[in-house]
Amino acid sequence: MNSGEKAAMREYFKSLPVYSEFFDEAIDAIIASMDSGISAEKGRVLVELGAMNKDFWFLKNGFLKEMYRSPYAKEDSLFNMIPPSSIFVNEDTLFTNQRPKHYFSAYTSVEILRLREADYLILQQEYPVEMNLIYLSGTAEIQKIRRERLNMLRMNKTPDRIEWVQQRQRELYHIMDRITLAQYIGVSRASLYRAFEKKKKYQF
Amino acid sequence: MLSQKEVERLHYGLLSHIKLQGDLEFQALSELSSKFTLRTVPSGHTLWDLSSSNGDLNFILEGTFAEYLQRGSHSFILRFHRPNKFAFSEDLLLYSKRSDTYSKALSHAKVASLPSVHFQNALRQGGLGAKLVEALINLSMTEYRNTTYEMLQTSGTNRIHAALEQFPDLLHLIPRSELADYLGISRASLFRSLKEIGHE
Repeated sequence: MNSGEKAAMREYFKSLPVYSEFFDEAIDAIIASMDSGISAEKGRVLVELGAMNKDFWFLKNGFLKEMYRSPYAKEDSLFNMIPPSSIFVNEDTLFTNQRPKHYFSAYTSVEILRLREADYLILQQEYPVEMNLIYLSGTAEIQKIRRERLNMLRMNKTPDRIEWVQQRQRELYHIMDRITLAQYIGVSRASLYRAFEKKKKYQF
Repeated sequence: MLSQKEVERLHYGLLSHIKLQGDLEFQALSELSSKFTLRTVPSGHTLWDLSSSNGDLNFILEGTFAEYLQRGSHSFILRFHRPNKFAFSEDLLLYSKRSDTYSKALSHAKVASLPSVHFQNALRQGGLGAKLVEALINLSMTEYRNTTYEMLQTSGTNRIHAALEQFPDLLHLIPRSELADYLGISRASLFRSLKEIGHE
């Protein structure tokens, strides 16, 4: 892992609410255990996260689409957009030992780092308290973001949802095309276009 | 006080969410189960509210709750809590901050409540406490994920279908105005969609 990758990982851990210097040794050990970067070109599905993969993945650069199969749509649907400096996992496999219902594809070209499950288990033995707290804090952050987004999806006016993305997810707002933005905020393309027309303000 | 049957239900409920290892953790879980107390909540009463200062962990034995999120002067349903599931304020219990949500019983309810002091003690001891928090976070993540599926449907009809799949009795639980807010659609759209699927 190069120094830029190490710095990106360290920044991520420092951004967790639970972070204090107490975690530094464990964080260094995590960083030392991580694989070097994996690159994927725009559009590629990350097959590395296969059916039984329980590794922890860190998106260093680029944006990922988290996709799922909706019973109400003919094509696979967007569940979420993953911005840089995020951890992502096969949730179903990791939490409930089931086949993953979601998969990830590169929305832009991406660079990813990996902490293998086997290495995670070794680290857990060496730093049980720190690893538990980091794990809990990391998953709690994902949960908080999910709750916030759900609040946005409950807004019954499209312009309010657009404004939420503009304000809370600026980075995503600037990178998403209109089709992806419509999917991200759970409205039809027509509704998104009407909202832009009405306000005479456009995405870009 | 919980009856023996209720303690057993609670114990199995906890067991279904936490992966235990070794006899010590099983024993710790039994001890923790015995610290829950029975609470009855009449329909319309709150399990916790915006001014609550302690986050108790509740396990629902009977009845259904709706958790409301306050946004400005308006509040809307964030999620439902049903029998054999946990109900708790994430803000109070996990983040020790003021709750942005309150939970109201939609029908007469019975819950087993673990006072926050016992929850915090279990957490401090690590082991079972850490596993319990992990289970609670995972449960919330899964609930939010399932509800997000509903909300990502662009048509009102599909949202209702997706919501009914999760909560078959949803239409009988809350008034239509709240249901429209819950689904993030206008009342007119709700009535049109309900008519379309033969529920009005």
